[in-house]
Amino acid sequence: MANNTNLPRRIIKETQRLLSEPAPGISASPSEDNMRYFNVMILGPTQSPYEGGVFKLELFLPEEYPMAAPKVRFLTKIYHPNIDKLGRICLDILKDKWSPALQIRTVLLSIQALLSAPNPDDPLSENIAKHWKTNEAEAVETAKEWTRLYASGA
Amino acid sequence: MDSEDDMMDANDVESVDDDFYSGEMDADCYSDDYGDYDDDVDEDDDDDSGPDYDFMAEAADDSDVVAARSQLSYTVLKEEDIRQRQEDDITKVSTVLSIPREAACILLRRYNWSVSKVHDEWFADEEAVRKSVGLLDGPVVRFSDAELVCGICFDTLPRDRIASAACGHPFCKQCWSGYISTTINDGPGCLTLKCPDPSCQAAVGQDMVNALTSSEDREKYARYLRRSYIEDNRKTKWCPAPGCEYAVDFVAGGGNFDVACLCSYSFCWNCTEEAHRPVDCGTVEKWILKNSAESENMNWILANSKPCPKCKRPIEKNQGCMHMTCTPPCKFEFCWLCLGAWSDHGERTGGFYACNRYEAAKQEGVYDEAERRREMAKNSLEKYTHYYERWASNQSSRQKALSDLHQMQTVHLEKLSDIHCTPESQLKFITEAWLQIVECRRVLKWTYAYGYYLPEHEQAKRQFFEYLQGEAESGLERLHQCAEKELQQFLTAEGPSKEFDDFRTKLAGLTSVTKNYFENLVRALENGLADVDSHAACSKGTSAKVTGICKARATKGKGNGKSGGSSRNGDD
Repeated sequence: MANNTNLPRRIIKETQRLLSEPAPGISASPSEDNMRYFNVMILGPTQSPYEGGVFKLELFLPEEYPMAAPKVRFLTKIYHPNIDKLGRICLDILKDKWSPALQIRTVLLSIQALLSAPNPDDPLSENIAKHWKTNEAEAVETAKEWTRLYASGA
Repeated sequence: MDSEDDMMDANDVESVDDDFYSGEMDADCYSDDYGDYDDDVDEDDDDDSGPDYDFMAEAADDSDVVAARSQLSYTVLKEEDIRQRQEDDITKVSTVLSIPREAACILLRRYNWSVSKVHDEWFADEEAVRKSVGLLDGPVVRFSDAELVCGICFDTLPRDRIASAACGHPFCKQCWSGYISTTINDGPGCLTLKCPDPSCQAAVGQDMVNALTSSEDREKYARYLRRSYIEDNRKTKWCPAPGCEYAVDFVAGGGNFDVACLCSYSFCWNCTEEAHRPVDCGTVEKWILKNSAESENMNWILANSKPCPKCKRPIEKNQGCMHMTCTPPCKFEFCWLCLGAWSDHGERTGGFYACNRYEAAKQEGVYDEAERRREMAKNSLEKYTHYYERWASNQSSRQKALSDLHQMQTVHLEKLSDIHCTPESQLKFITEAWLQIVECRRVLKWTYAYGYYLPEHEQAKRQFFEYLQGEAESGLERLHQCAEKELQQFLTAEGPSKEFDDFRTKLAGLTSVTKNYFENLVRALENGLADVDSHAACSKGTSAKVTGICKARATKGKGNGKSGGSSRNGDD
């Protein structure tokens, strides 16, 4: 684990805290061979179309972290206007609104919140956003369907 | 037809023109004799052609510069000037609002560096302004501990290693440095830097940047701040010349957007294309668009085709032999090499595929194919090619003149000064001649865009325009010839000579005459050749006025030739 010896203290502290006091509905643990790579699981928030689902994500801390934002991606297929079919997430704090005072925990909480409150006005996936805006009830049904299909067996 | 008179008058002037450099007419008659037209230009004439304009005396040069400066509606700012002005504005706001300079700077940037806007907004609603830019009244968090946890690296550190913006959120100095440096390297967004705490809007200004970052980052930040001062300010723009670091502060209301930067580049402040008087910005835009759309085509046609010598349609040669037959209905048969009729070839030119006429002419060096094709282009290719080629060739002449000017200033002037035992300050007339050539090439270039858009049906205007343009061209050629060719002999001369004094008089005279002619030309064209309109509408009286421009120029030439001459006598 040569590349982990120089791990900044901040990352070590964050990791320890994530493991010892995890946020509700979120788990994140570093990969064994790369302490900058995290396996993440987020439970679909209650009263959202994703309720009951378990969503896998990957999170990577780039060399510049915390000056640069972590890279996060959904591994589980999800029907959401701000998440595309590759699992990429449209979230301001992962881009221009990133601040080094944010943390892995805050990022994951924001993603969880995004599942509760999809924002079809700032879409990543045009089709899903359009579906959401023209027929929200139907779009929510599809999201539920996808949750059942892809996010239940995790 | 009226325009006939016009042209006849014009021709008359030409005959006057031929000898006007050697003439002896009085300069004063120019401003007295030509009524209305001169009223518009008197102001300039006093500076340029009047007794003030003495090519020999240093003092006269200075007064000329002063006169020119008093009309300028802009100021060129060097880096130091920019810094100074920015400092002054910051000081003003800081003093009036009783706030730190750093805060004044943040406010000015927010309101595009308009001091009055900052004042207005601040006194209207200080709270709202403070909030919008993140200028806090006091800290939002307070700590009394001796040690604090940095919000970025999570290390617990003594207070002296912690820094905060006005809000008080603690971060260690090392993390601050990384944070600020990252933002600066992301671009000018660093000018609206905030506290790293995601919920906090507290502004981070230059003092903090300077206190916490490397000198390289400080310099970058200062550069962004200076750039913002020019780019966000409605009254200033950078000179668009590549590599030029000067800016221009423009005062609206001059009616003329031409700006000459200290780097010698002239541009239009309104559209930031190169200076284009007498043509307006809209025409320039159209012309440039046209060039970019058609120049490829045009270049291809020029490079790969020749016009049929009879019907002038462009012909691309796509088969091997030189025997060309134009497409019906023309069907003219000719030789590709010499463009002569094919019937003159064959036996008489030494066999089927050899064109002796071409070979012979080429050997003698009289056969300048490019020249011939240029001549042809006028008749054959679209009107556009005609204007475009001339526009472009004046452009390249101008480039050449610029490099000649540079050569003159860096090498030749010193040499001339040695040979002719004259201080370089006395050789300014040569630099002035070259500067004038550069300027004239620019004007002449744009007259071709002007000509292109001059409506076909306005016959009288077109004829008059072409006459003026032709005269401008030949006047400029004379000046260019004198500055380029006639100067050569003095570069290789043994020592001072009477001829050099004569040359001085001639070149200075030509410079002044050409300058005046071009100034009048620009005014006449900007005026839409309005004199021609009034001429068409009324009678002979105005016809005298139209030609007045030419006559005025001609007499002025004499006047200047003389005043130049007499001042020389005076000095000697």
